[in-house]
Amino acid sequence: MTTAASVVPSTASAATVKVPVWAWLLLAVAVFTIYVLAQENGALLSAPAAEMLHELTHDARHALGVPCH
Amino acid sequence: MAVGFGSVLRRGALAGVLAGLAAALTIWLVVEPVIRRALVIEDLRGMHGGHAAGVPLHGGDEPLVSRSAQVVGGAVTSVVVGLAVGVIFAVVFARLRDRLTGRGDLGRSLVLATVGFGAVTLLPAVKIPANPPAVGDPATVGRRTTLYAVVLLLGVAIAVVVPMLDRWLASRVPVPSTRWAIDVVATVVLLVLVLTLLPGTPDQVPADVPADVVWDFRLASLAQLGAMWLTLGLAFGLLMERGEAVRPGRARVDAGTTVSA
Repeated sequence: MTTAASVVPSTASAATVKVPVWAWLLLAVAVFTIYVLAQENGALLSAPAAEMLHELTHDARHALGVPCH
Repeated sequence: MAVGFGSVLRRGALAGVLAGLAAALTIWLVVEPVIRRALVIEDLRGMHGGHAAGVPLHGGDEPLVSRSAQVVGGAVTSVVVGLAVGVIFAVVFARLRDRLTGRGDLGRSLVLATVGFGAVTLLPAVKIPANPPAVGDPATVGRRTTLYAVVLLLGVAIAVVVPMLDRWLASRVPVPSTRWAIDVVATVVLLVLVLTLLPGTPDQVPADVPADVVWDFRLASLAQLGAMWLTLGLAFGLLMERGEAVRPGRARVDAGTTVSA
């Protein structure tokens, strides 16, 4: 508490939000979700499953601008 | 006084879904018409034996997923991507809330959304532009994906380094306008370095794809991503401000805002 008070300026402390550790885990899950939807082409899934995923997400992948086939 | 992380996360998730819906609507109205034009080119290639002609051909004779399923799948994908981006946005916003400049949470949210758009959308889009179907060469997709990821990470790195530089300058440069000028020049120099030093896409646009199809598609792709970031920044900021305003005990009347219900 004393360290936080000494580091954070008094004007900024009102805006500070305490971020729990699990939030960073959630962030990792979200990044992984985007990877699976946008980039997964068989690195993790079996080839037919990856191809199915690729075809289903096809239009959004093109639109999101990720490199595609 | 303090804002709990849970309320920030909930607003991020809701704003993310709204951003995904805005993106899906933009895909449907703006991107799909261009994809249809590109698919006509792929179909023409199929008739002339595209593989033999040495140009990429997408899919076989029997499509694994129908076109209508792809359109619906694209919409669902953009909503889920929006939700995931909203969650990431909320975590980063909560962590940086006391450091972001901007008037109130709406201002902070719009600043973060603008930086996000620039770092992970615009910079990769300029270096490795989006392409419609009928353009990508399947043989180079791995290389293009790596390059795309590297540019995206460098964009994030620039967004982290420039504020660090700004804080370092804060104690050394007394005139704010000089400091901001140095920030802007540093950002431009770093962007130019990324754009010039990294190799570009190894693909060439096939001769049978008209330039206006490629241009329209790239604009449409940026429109979709811009709609996503703008909706996310606006919706998240407004939800945060509304949460502040309705909290009992510290009611705040915003000038010009009518509170209904």
